[in-house]
Order: sequence, then C-alpha cells, then structure tokens
Amino acid sequence: MNRTSERLALRTSLLGAVLLLATPAAQAQDAPLALVNARILTMVPEQGAIERGTIVVRDGRIEALGADVRVPPGAEVVDVAGGTVMPGLVHVWSKAGTQVEQSGPELPADLPERFRRRFGGGGGGGGARPVAQAAKQIAPSIYARQDVFRDLLAKGVTTLIVRPDAPGFPGLAARLDPGATTDAGLTLDAEAYVVVQPDTNTAVGKVLKENFEKAQKVVAERKAPPPAEPKPEEKPAEPKEGGEQPKPPAEGEQPKETPKEGEQQPEPPKPAEARQQPAPKKDPNVEVLADLLEGKRRAFVELSSGTDLLHYRYALKDLKDLSFPMTVIADAADPSSGRLDEIADQLRALNAIVLLEPSLQTVPFTQTLVNVPQRLHAAGLEIGFVLDDSPRQLGDLWFELMELVRCGLPADVALAACTRVPAKAAGLDAEVGTLATGKRADLLVFSGDPLDPTSRLVTVYCAGRAVPKDTTR
Amino acid sequence: MKPMHPLLTVAAAGLAALLLADSATSQRPRRRPDGAPPGAPTPEAPPPAEAKPEPKVESWTAIQGGDVYLGDGTILRRATVLIGDDKIRGVGHDLQIPEGAHIVDATGKVVSPGFCIVHASGFGAPRSGNDVRDGLNPFDPQIKMGLAAGITSFLWTSSGGSDKPGGKSCVVKLAFGDLEGMVGPEDTVVSMRVPLNVQQMRAFRELVRQAREHQQKLRELEGKEGTKPPKAPNGTEELLAIMDGRKTLWISGQPSFGGRFGGGGGPSEGFGVDQIRQAMEIAELVGQGVVLDVPVAAWVIPDEIAATGSMVIDDPRSRTEPIPGREATTGSNIAQAAILAEVGVPVAVTTGGGGFGGPSIGTGGILGQDLNTPTVDACYAVRGGLPNRRAIRTLALDAARIMGAEARIGSLQEGRDADVLILDGDPLHYKTFVEIAFVNGKLVYEKDREPFYRHVQR
Repeated sequence: MNRTSERLALRTSLLGAVLLLATPAAQAQDAPLALVNARILTMVPEQGAIERGTIVVRDGRIEALGADVRVPPGAEVVDVAGGTVMPGLVHVWSKAGTQVEQSGPELPADLPERFRRRFGGGGGGGGARPVAQAAKQIAPSIYARQDVFRDLLAKGVTTLIVRPDAPGFPGLAARLDPGATTDAGLTLDAEAYVVVQPDTNTAVGKVLKENFEKAQKVVAERKAPPPAEPKPEEKPAEPKEGGEQPKPPAEGEQPKETPKEGEQQPEPPKPAEARQQPAPKKDPNVEVLADLLEGKRRAFVELSSGTDLLHYRYALKDLKDLSFPMTVIADAADPSSGRLDEIADQLRALNAIVLLEPSLQTVPFTQTLVNVPQRLHAAGLEIGFVLDDSPRQLGDLWFELMELVRCGLPADVALAACTRVPAKAAGLDAEVGTLATGKRADLLVFSGDPLDPTSRLVTVYCAGRAVPKDTTR
Repeated sequence: MKPMHPLLTVAAAGLAALLLADSATSQRPRRRPDGAPPGAPTPEAPPPAEAKPEPKVESWTAIQGGDVYLGDGTILRRATVLIGDDKIRGVGHDLQIPEGAHIVDATGKVVSPGFCIVHASGFGAPRSGNDVRDGLNPFDPQIKMGLAAGITSFLWTSSGGSDKPGGKSCVVKLAFGDLEGMVGPEDTVVSMRVPLNVQQMRAFRELVRQAREHQQKLRELEGKEGTKPPKAPNGTEELLAIMDGRKTLWISGQPSFGGRFGGGGGPSEGFGVDQIRQAMEIAELVGQGVVLDVPVAAWVIPDEIAATGSMVIDDPRSRTEPIPGREATTGSNIAQAAILAEVGVPVAVTTGGGGFGGPSIGTGGILGQDLNTPTVDACYAVRGGLPNRRAIRTLALDAARIMGAEARIGSLQEGRDADVLILDGDPLHYKTFVEIAFVNGKLVYEKDREPFYRHVQR
C-alpha cells in the first residue's frame, strides 16, 4: 500500500528530472548525474543486486556505483525511491531502419538517394538467391531520422546493431547509436560483425563452402607470404580493402564509442571505393572472411533449427579446421525442423553463444510447451535473446521473460540474456551490457523488479542522458 | 572455437558392403524364380563372426527373443538380430553376441524389417526438385509419424519420363535427425509411360538400337589399353543404365478419361492388358524386367509378366469397373497380388492415386489413426488371397526390389541397413503398434516417448 504512493512520488520526481535533463542536453553532459536509493542489477556474473545503492554518471559513463558511493558535489541527484536499475537492452540482431521503402510515406523529402534503395539481396526468405558479399556494409544505406530508432530507445534499447539479410554472406552489420540525430553520428561501427545466413538448400551451401574455402587459402597465403615479387602491388591495396582499418573492436574488445562524429565521417564512402577499384586478384569479400578465420572479426550465423544446423555442417563438412568466433542466431524457431535443445550437444561443439527468441515452443501435435532457453542453459550453453524490431512488441519482452522464468529459467539468466550476453556476443562486453565503473551509462530505471508485472519502465538513460518519454504506449 | 564435427564417415564401409551385396542380388534372372519356400531359413543365417575379418564396429545392439520376420516371407521364432553400427551383422538362433552389446529384449514381440514404400511424399523430403537434399528436413515430425506406421524408407521421385525413360529418384530413409542418413541410394529408378504410339515406339526402338550398338563398341574396346571409350549416343544414358541393370524402369499406364467426362471413346480400360503388353515389349527390348506401376489388369496375363522378370506395384484397394461384356479381361481384381505372387512376380502395395512423381501414402490425415497405413494395403492383398506370410514382402523385400534398393533395405540379412522394427504383434494386423524403430542402426522411434500413441495403454 505504501509502495503505490512511493511509486507515484518516484514517477513525478523522475518526470521532473526527465524534463530537466531532456531539454538542455549539452549541460547535462557536464554536470554529473547521481541515481540514489536504487536497487542495482549490475548483471555482472555472480554479483547479486546492490540494495539501496548509488550510481554516479559522468560524461556518459559510470564513474562509480555501490551501496556506499558518495554523491559528488554539484551532481544532479535523482532519487529512484527503491526502484530497480539495470543495464539497457542490447539488441544485436535487428533489421530496424533497414527496409526503407516500407516506411515510404514517412520518407523525408530531402532524403539522399542512397537511402532510398533497399539494401542487399532482398530478404532472406526461402528461394532468394544466395549472395557472397561479406564485405558489404549495411551502414551507408541507413539514415538517422527514423522513428523506429527513437521508439526502440524509449523501450530501453540502448545498443542497436542492424544487419543485412540475404542467404549466404549478405554483408557486415552496423552498430548504431539509436539516439543519433545526424546521419554522420548514427554509425558507431560499420563492421560490427560478419553475417552468415546458411539455408537448407544446396545452392546456399555451395556459396558458403566455396567462399570459406577461398578464405582458408587467403589465410594460408597470409601465413606464408609469397616471394617478394607480388608484394609491392599488394601493399597499397591493403588499406582499401576495408579489411583492417575500421575494426578496432575485434582486435581487443576495446570500448570504441568515443569517436562519435569525427571518425565515422570517412567510413560510408569506403565500400564504394573498394568496389570501384578492386585490388588485383583480391576479393574484399574473401578478405573479410579470411579476417574472420584469423579471429580478427566475429560472425553471426543464422541457424534457427536443428535442420539448419545439419545442413550447415553438411555444406562445410569437407573443410578441415574451419573455426571462427561465432554467435548462433536462432530468430525463426520452427519446432517442426528440430528445436535447438534437441541439438544442444552439437551446439556446444560449436563453442558459440546462442541468441534465440524469448519464448516457449510447442511440441508439434501436442499441447506440450518446451522452455528451450532454459534447456539450453541447463545444458551449459550461454544464451541470449533476439529482441523484437517492433517497438510495440518489444514492450512485451518483459512478459515473455516472466513466462520463461515462471517455467524454470533463472531470472538473472533471463535478464543477462538481454544485456550482458548479447553484448559479449557482439564483442561489446567491455562497454555495455553490465553496470560497472567505466561502462557506458546505459541504464533502465524500473519502478520495481523488471520481472514484476506491476513494474513500469520509468526512465531510459542512454550514455548518461535521459531519453524522451516513450509515446507509443 | 573447435572445428566443425566431421560428419560420419560410415559411407565407405557401407558402400563396400553395398557393392558386395549388390553383385550378389541385383542380377535379376530374366525368369524370376519364386521366393524362398515358406519356412526355409535364409542361407545367411550362420553367425558372421569367424567367416571374415570383423569390421570395426563401434556399437552393438542385439535384439533377442522375438519372432523375426526376415522380410522375404520367412519367420525365425525366438531369434536374435544383431546390429553393429548402421548394419545388420547377423540374424539367427546361435549368434555370438559381442561383449558390451546393448541388449534389447523382444520376447513375445515381432521383429521385422522397416517397411519400404514405393509411392510416398513428405516425411521431411522436399516436394520436388532435382536434389533431395534441397530443403530436406530430418527433424520433420512427419518422420516420427511414418515410423509409427512402420515406414523406414520410401522412394522419393521428382517428375518422370514420358515416351522415354527419365526422372529423378532417391530412396529416402526416415533417419530422424540425420541429414546424410536420410539420403539412401539415388537414381535407382527412372520412369516412362505407355501407351506409345507407332512413332514413339519406333523412336524408342531406334534408341535401344543405338544403345546396343554403343554397348557393342564398349565390349570391343574392352581390354584394349589407351583407347578412350566413346561417348554414349544422345538420349541413351538412361536406357544404358536400365540395360546394364543399374537402374530400374518403372512403366505407368495412361489413364483414359474417356467416358468418365462424357468425352467419347467409351469406357476406360486404364492400364489394361494392351498397355501392359506394350510394357512387356519394352521389357523385352531392354532385356530387363520392368516395374508395372499400378496396372489395372495384370491379373489377366500373370505368366506374360513373369516371363519378362518384371515386377508389379499393386493398389489392392482401388476398383476399376470392367468393360461390360469383357469382364474376363478388363477391370481390377482384388486377387491381383495373389495371382501375380503365385507365378513368382514380386509385388509391392500402394494406395490409390500413386505413381512416379505422384505420391500417395502421405501424412495428410493422422497416419495410423485413419486407415492410411501401408499395412492395411497389404491386408487388402491378403483379403484377395495373398498368403499372409507372403504379404510382408509387399512392404519389405519386394518393395525394396521395386525401388532398386534390395541390396540396402527390405530384409533382415547380414550386410543390410539396420532398419528394424519391434512390434507388439503381427506386422500386418490392424491392432499392432510399432514399439521401437531403428533406422541405420539408430534408435529413432519409441512408442512410449513419442506423442502419437504413448497414451495408448493395453
């Protein structure tokens, strides 16, 4: 009974804070922010909740957090009033904003032509022709002022990676700043990961095999460089490939959000350049895959079912020692093609994080429900969730999590599966996904426990800034 | 970051076994003798242990104490079926069971080869296409339904020839969860149709002549080193495969719709005596027995069919009315399977509407809960007079022969694929349930664990 009034108070006080913070954004950057009286779910493994804690945020990052952290002088203080604070949602497998013409009527008149084209091979649906364009960036085809980014952010998505979609090797995913207001500031990393979309048909399998085979040859050549002759002509070509230069994240999981506007500027034209004048004999698409095999990049491989995995393994069975940093994406579960828990052993052998849909599945011809995430977790796999692209449906995420938890998935695993694990899968775990000193201040403030049906998402902070209120609810 | 699992490499051993078995069984005599006399044990019965160097087997399973139907009509009471990895390593009464073998007690049960279905679709296989692997779904729940009905393999077909042999086919095995295990012998069967008109028949004869000429050239070159064998004349590739016994030719009849739609031409004879005789002519031309794909009136001329070494797919449930006044030579006969079996023609059963590229036994209903099971089709043949013991062959050995895959499937014999059912009664009794099914030596179905019949207690 007391809690209701408490929550009301919280809401009003926060609303004030939001208004305060939202309008003079530039000033808010300077003054430190302190969330006090918060139950903090850090999502750091084996670290429980910090009760009645304080989080201090400065320049978009967490400066300090804990039960006995002192509020620095001059800080903007927000009393969370016993509410819960957790990391922002990490949405790493999204198509938000990539299908431009679908939002046709809303397209701004001054939108440059390149944004009006649909990216890639046109959908990953069955029957689409496989592509081998592993080096193609999706980033240049996305523009910033789309409602979907703002709406997803309001629902708590503070990290967003959008990906191309076509069978085969459709290209490179892009990490976006969902709060960006300019096209230049939108892309944080144009080469977040390599997308691999196998299929159950032999044509796609052939493309996968041939290109990985070529990449293996390139890796072998790199290890044993050919005689001095061809070296000089190779050297200048290297930086143009788009292979090495723009991907510090892969090398050392380094936080690389800081170069916001400045560094991104030269990136969009790069793939075009590479396409116009390809270096002799060097295929940038194969170079990207070679980087992958050398562990300098990571791949997200879409394997939604047991059948997908069997076909994938069948296609690549003749390639010896094929291994690379891999995340398995299961975003189109089909219980009639084998649930992932039926192939848990084979998944474990891939040594990959598995990102799947946060839902129960029905055994065909029965009423039996299976908690696939729970079973995979119990089988020792690290699991994360594929989130929804529709802001409206994303609001149901918390109910889906509640259902999974009610059916046996540990609550901390469920929440980590939306934060820490996908961040790790995308190589961003040094920066987002958990709450710790030095991490980006992407915070979700709930009025109570996030998995309590009566709780409300009160405020979203993205890099320390409160996000304007969600208007879609 | 481990490397991909190399997929199973049993293929090599399997292929060797296949080749051995193939040479022994696939040379069809022109005049096929009847099957083994009922009750006679197969010559393969003695244990394999001392006979030859033991193949390296990872896991053994011994199914003991059941009444073993070998698939050719023979039954061994309280015998043992020994499975090593994906093959049957022995069937008999005094087998040496290797140490560490997994023992399955089948006392009071029936052990039978998995049923082979000549016309079917679904079960995880694509509806059409050139490669059965395209879209093959080894986790399709229909596979479990098929296993519940005792089906462990079927012939997948895609399109077919018309006035000369053609089409794609593959024996698909219901190896749940095993992509490569599902793909059995490929392109063992091609098809064409009769009747051929005078021109088509002339063209066919010419094609056969060219093929014979080519064979002759090859024979002349035999033993001569360094000469490149000539290319087969255009369009004779399939024909050569049939004449060499590498592929089995299925011949279907042309359904005539005359009369049915009021289009003149009188009442339909369907795949009647005239069309069957033309098919027999084709069999004589290619020098091999063919498969008559659901003839209507094969019962009229069983001896002519037997004389060519041909085989028949029968649909004992279907009825075609005789032409009035010609009752002795037209129309269907429920006794067809029995009449053909009597003169030694191998018969497989199917359900109405089937054909090469036009499958019939499917999973549209709830397989087994309606009467759409293959065993029921066999029962109709029994009702027409086919001996009970012989009827199992319509789903086992003879069906496998008709699919051109008897070296792999259709019987419990050393060296065959370990596709084995454990049933709680006579395989052809409507009350019987499949309790356990192995495909390629792997346990793929258990009645008590799968949703379809686990609630049935008795």
